[in-house]
Amino acid sequence: MSIAISDVKSQELYCPEIAKITAVKRFTEKEKWFDIELPGGRSLGHQPGQFVQVSLFGAGEAPISVTSSPTKKGSFELCIREVGMLTKLLHKLDVGSTVGIRGPYGKGFDVKSFKGKDILIIGGGIGIVPLRSLINYVIDNRKDYGRLIILYGAKNPDELLYPDDLKLWKKSNDIEYHITVDQGTPEWKGNTGVITTLIPGLDLDLPNTITAVVGPPIMYKFVLMSLKTKRIPDENIYLSLERRMKCGVGKCGHCQINHSYVCQDGPVYHYPELKHLQEAI
Amino acid sequence: MKKYQLNNKQLPSFIDHLKKQGTVFAPHKKGDTSYSFEKVENPNSVVLDYNRTLNSVKKYFLPPREHLLSFSKTDNSFRKGSFKNEKKIFLGVHSYDMKAVLKLDYNFSQGNPEENYLQRRKDSSFIGVSFIPDEFHFSQSVGIPLHDTEGFDIYLEQNSDGYTVKIITEKGEKLIDGFDRVSKAKDISSNHVQFQNKLKYNYNRLPEVFEQSWNAAVWEEVSKKCVGCGTCNLVCPTCYCFDVEDNLDLSLQTGTRDRSWDGCMLNGFAAVAGGENFRETLAERQRHRVHRKFKYISDITGEPWCVGCGRCTAYCTAGISIVEIVNQLCDEYEQNYLNRPAVVGLNAERL
Ligand SMILES: Cc1cc2nc3c(=O)[nH]c(=O)nc-3n(C[C@H](O)[C@H](O)[C@H](O)COP(=O)(O)OP(=O)(O)OC[C@H]3O[C@@H](n4cnc5c(N)ncnc54)[C@H](O)[C@@H]3O)c2cc1C
Ligand code: SF4
Ligand code: SF4
Ligand code: FES
Repeated sequence: MSIAISDVKSQELYCPEIAKITAVKRFTEKEKWFDIELPGGRSLGHQPGQFVQVSLFGAGEAPISVTSSPTKKGSFELCIREVGMLTKLLHKLDVGSTVGIRGPYGKGFDVKSFKGKDILIIGGGIGIVPLRSLINYVIDNRKDYGRLIILYGAKNPDELLYPDDLKLWKKSNDIEYHITVDQGTPEWKGNTGVITTLIPGLDLDLPNTITAVVGPPIMYKFVLMSLKTKRIPDENIYLSLERRMKCGVGKCGHCQINHSYVCQDGPVYHYPELKHLQEAI
Repeated sequence: MKKYQLNNKQLPSFIDHLKKQGTVFAPHKKGDTSYSFEKVENPNSVVLDYNRTLNSVKKYFLPPREHLLSFSKTDNSFRKGSFKNEKKIFLGVHSYDMKAVLKLDYNFSQGNPEENYLQRRKDSSFIGVSFIPDEFHFSQSVGIPLHDTEGFDIYLEQNSDGYTVKIITEKGEKLIDGFDRVSKAKDISSNHVQFQNKLKYNYNRLPEVFEQSWNAAVWEEVSKKCVGCGTCNLVCPTCYCFDVEDNLDLSLQTGTRDRSWDGCMLNGFAAVAGGENFRETLAERQRHRVHRKFKYISDITGEPWCVGCGRCTAYCTAGISIVEIVNQLCDEYEQNYLNRPAVVGLNAERL
């Protein structure tokens, strides 16, 4: 193996663009929503399911999913959970502050190939963040898609994200929206139980239903089992996986699952591709 | 191929000749038994007869630590790291380390070709030198013949009075041009170094072994000894994984975004927020390291990503041998999937 490296056109990979925060909302104790504008209002040009590398000089960089649909122009949105140093500092930022942005990176949902199909969304916890990009894309191109079914599960009512969207989904008569929490509160009137409890009751048009699943690692095994019982073919299932990421461009090795680099081949995978990756699920 | 004779006592003047054409890096002795590639100041301190350097020449293309960016928090400005534009001549490189450079070239130019690596890597010439394999070398077993010259511009093969100089490329021809103290090549037929094949299977049979290696017992067994120090990653000439972190200077206003070598044997390498660590056990991490060397990239490129330098074994804190790991995989494969013994005695092949 020998490459004529002088013929390779190299790329600068690590310089962020300095982008401006144009709106901030607090969703929960741990999660905040940010609206972000690239210089000149340039669009990010992402696919639903892709992510960006967000950075603050002095604090570092982290992969964060884009939560808005590419159909939204002029700015894009992120939803960030505070878990460590960088995310804590990001939470302190207000309108007018700047962040570094690289990307969009990775492979998102192949929305073109979903055309004409029913879309079943299964989001657990913070997994709803990348899925919201897909949901909004389908809503904005409503006539291109069949039914839109959203299953959303959170630990408890206080951890539910996107309160405005949830109201909208609930009200809309062309969205079938089901929500559950693992543990209810006295005020909670909805379903309680893990997200898989919502699956058996669904009336689906198999093989015409595309399923998109995102959630914490532990969720996948159980959701996949329920989907199998429901006889949803594996070819109709897409999953987004989280791994540690440092570069986002296929160089640092951190995101590797067997031979696959999640930042390149994922984070969104077609389920049949994942079946021979022993480390995936 | 043009060949000349370079006698030992001409070596310093040959190095001086090279130094006129660029910055020369070559092995130097460090301590009693250790060698290291260093920039050549004094040609007399270069040691061409060595077993292995602690680190390969990788460190010049992918430095242990480098600034990706320098930034200022005050005005949110940044500059990307800079690269020295200089002609670099690497003298005294062993064939396996040359092969490792070619493999890194692949990793950094496929997908998103990385400027940092490729800028550092350009304008490099390589002058190889033959070596006598010691108990740790096994490059022959992974498909790299002892005198493999791929990648070299010039190759020096040791003989009784010095070296047979083989000119491999036009670039090599230019490097030696003007150095008039070489004479007609000596016969080197006396130089028979036998390379012991150390892997039980020849490299082109390893893919079938690695097809069945996932649940092998060896991972668990080795993990009982391994301490997870990551030394095997750091010394490997084909390991390229890195970490990125920001460092502020004392003003707390300016700083650098730095990348540094990282290792998949270290505990936090695959950990994410929420407490999940995707390769929590040492057995999982060892399996990942060895699969990176013999399966993952190899399935795509058709060659092992281990070059048989023996460093990870020679320097392992716990005395773990990658050859023994692979050979045990071969044994387990035979016991569980074959009823015939492995083919041994491939030594003569490819010499
Ligand atoms: C494709 C992808 C999309 C993501 N999308 C979102 C999102 O939309 N919203 C969100 O809040 N979070 C998201 N994350 C997780 C987010 O990247 C981590 O929470 C963040 O990196 C933590 O950074 P920190 O500096 O605050 O924490 P640290 O202080 O660095 O560490 C806190 C914890 O985070 C883990 N961690 C550190 N660095 C990384 C890293 N680079 N990648 C993954 N885990 C890391 C550590 O192991 C530790 O357990 C996503 C991750 C991936 C891989
Ligand atoms: S050098 Fe040896 S002890 Fe250290 S991580 Fe590697 S195999 Fe384990
Ligand atoms: S795995 Fe070990 S023997 Fe193989 S190239 Fe790396 S350090 Fe050398
Ligand atoms: S995040 Fe660096 S290789 Fe994927």
